[in-house]
Amino acid sequence: MSIEVLLNEFAEISEHPHRQIEKFKAEGKKVIGVLPYYAPEELVYAAGMVPMGIWGSNKKTISHAKEYCATFYCTIAQLALEMLLDGTLDDLDGLITPTICDTLRPMSQNFRVAMEGKLPCIFLAHPQQRKPTFGLQFTMDQYQHVKGELEKISGNTITDEALRTAIKVYNRNRAARREFVVLAGQHPDVVSAVKRSAVLRAAYFMIKDDHTAKLEALNAELRALPPCDWKGKKIVTSGIICDNPKLLQIFDDNKIAIAADDVAHESRMIRVDAAETGDPMMALAQQFADQDYDILLYDEHSSENRRADFVVKKIKDSGAQGLVLFMQQFCDPEEMEYPYLKKALDAAGIPHIKLGVDQQMRDFGQASTAIQAFADVL
Amino acid sequence: MSIYTLGIDIGSTASKCIMLSDGKEIVAKSLIDVGAGTSGPQRAIDQVLEEAGKTREDMSFILATGYGRNSLEEFADDQMSELSCHAKGAAFLFPEVRTVIDIGGQDVKVMRVENGIMTNFQMNDKCAAGTGRFLDVMARVLEVDVEDLGALGAQSTKYVGISSTCTVFAESEVISQLSKGTDKRDIINGIHQSVAGRVAGLAHRIGIQDQVVMTGGVAQNTGVVGALQNALGHEVHTSPLTQYNGALGAALFAYQKYKKAHKDK
Repeated sequence: MSIEVLLNEFAEISEHPHRQIEKFKAEGKKVIGVLPYYAPEELVYAAGMVPMGIWGSNKKTISHAKEYCATFYCTIAQLALEMLLDGTLDDLDGLITPTICDTLRPMSQNFRVAMEGKLPCIFLAHPQQRKPTFGLQFTMDQYQHVKGELEKISGNTITDEALRTAIKVYNRNRAARREFVVLAGQHPDVVSAVKRSAVLRAAYFMIKDDHTAKLEALNAELRALPPCDWKGKKIVTSGIICDNPKLLQIFDDNKIAIAADDVAHESRMIRVDAAETGDPMMALAQQFADQDYDILLYDEHSSENRRADFVVKKIKDSGAQGLVLFMQQFCDPEEMEYPYLKKALDAAGIPHIKLGVDQQMRDFGQASTAIQAFADVL
Repeated sequence: MSIYTLGIDIGSTASKCIMLSDGKEIVAKSLIDVGAGTSGPQRAIDQVLEEAGKTREDMSFILATGYGRNSLEEFADDQMSELSCHAKGAAFLFPEVRTVIDIGGQDVKVMRVENGIMTNFQMNDKCAAGTGRFLDVMARVLEVDVEDLGALGAQSTKYVGISSTCTVFAESEVISQLSKGTDKRDIINGIHQSVAGRVAGLAHRIGIQDQVVMTGGVAQNTGVVGALQNALGHEVHTSPLTQYNGALGAALFAYQKYKKAHKDK
């Protein structure tokens, strides 16, 4: 299948997640909504159900959710609730609500209250101290709770064997996505910023075996391409999410390629794999413990500014000339982290811009001006 | 034979054109007080061509800039961001410039310029605080013309603090001051200080280096310029062409692009 056909298929799925839910339901599958961040989707898969990533929406406006939410909650969380309240996600059979940030913690209770009697909401509290033995045990206990709730919804027992199979499926998918990120950075003439985003976003709406098969086919095609002599600029993106095609189109219009990313919705979620042997619950807990360089996760060596150094290295390794930071409105962790990131970028002589974004933005005039001007200074 | 280039700056509140000959001499200029999405751009183009006695065909290169720069795809040869154009225009008018502060209709931009080239910049977010729109709103509440704000503020005898930078909250503060019988001139002075404080905060993010040049329509307001000088602790230079600065930069880039294309051939 040609690259263009594959990219268009990903784009179609990325833009129409509700069609995916309808398809899964028509096939008799149960679908579990999975909110950010780091929920062990492997458990959903092992229970024979389909996990559906819910990272807000670029098409909805907050209305019903206002009844439950403080105005300073990010639009990602508010629009997730909006879709639960306005009927968009009526076909879900359950919802996993992780609680890593200060918005998602209270929001988990808003989801529970708003969906009472309608949709089982599975509470998931990751530990702050994720690396010590007691942290691993806490994560395992939490995952055990999630596992039990998923078994109730599915009616299936999640066996160790099924979970190990799920881990293998997910590891393979993460590897394919990581390779795609590299290949997309090497071939921006073929994989535009808009198309790149669609491929990565579609992963949240597809059964991972299907996404992997399609993506491995795409990666094979991209690997076979001759090297690209890119005349435009190259940057690295950072932030929680930047999947709005209209915003990303500005990069394509100005011949700015995304060489790599430090975006939660994209690469931060696929950096670490789980062990495919041994106790699979421990493997998932260890996988979470091994996550690093994430604003949302406690770093016992935070005084060393390791995250910012990691991002600087990523920029240098990718051959990018600068960084574009998508600052999600009301995202306290990202805002608080920014001065440290800026310090490291300035010290390394790497130019950057910070763009304030939220998912209700429909006009990107100012962002367009800033991105175009940024290309001029790179 | 002279090479004519045209720079068109379609802002959010005004449309400006500058026609240059050989990238040096200003042949004609025009300004219409409505911007993107209105008849302003076309009227400004018609006016500048008429003033110069030229036609579209006489223009070797036309470059659009400003918020509405993409709306002239069929007319202009190219488009660029207004930040680059403002830096270019300011460097033409003030060769020693290192910091450009542009307060436009709906945004504030601070640019670092080195050897005439923009090397860094900061922009405000979506908020209208500290912009020309902020002053428009305040002038309306105070029932004065926005052009008169500078002269009126200069007559202030007492400091009245307008603490809010948010346009909506600042409007409430102004209404509250008016209801207390505070002199309008003192309120206007407070508004200028408020704008200067907001803009200075943005400017400090990239650091202030002399020469500081202020461009954009708000640079015509002597009250804001004075307040900004105090807030920054640096002399702030302005030009009579301040409102045309973006269009001037566009016309200069147009000349550069024409010469480059010609050289390549």
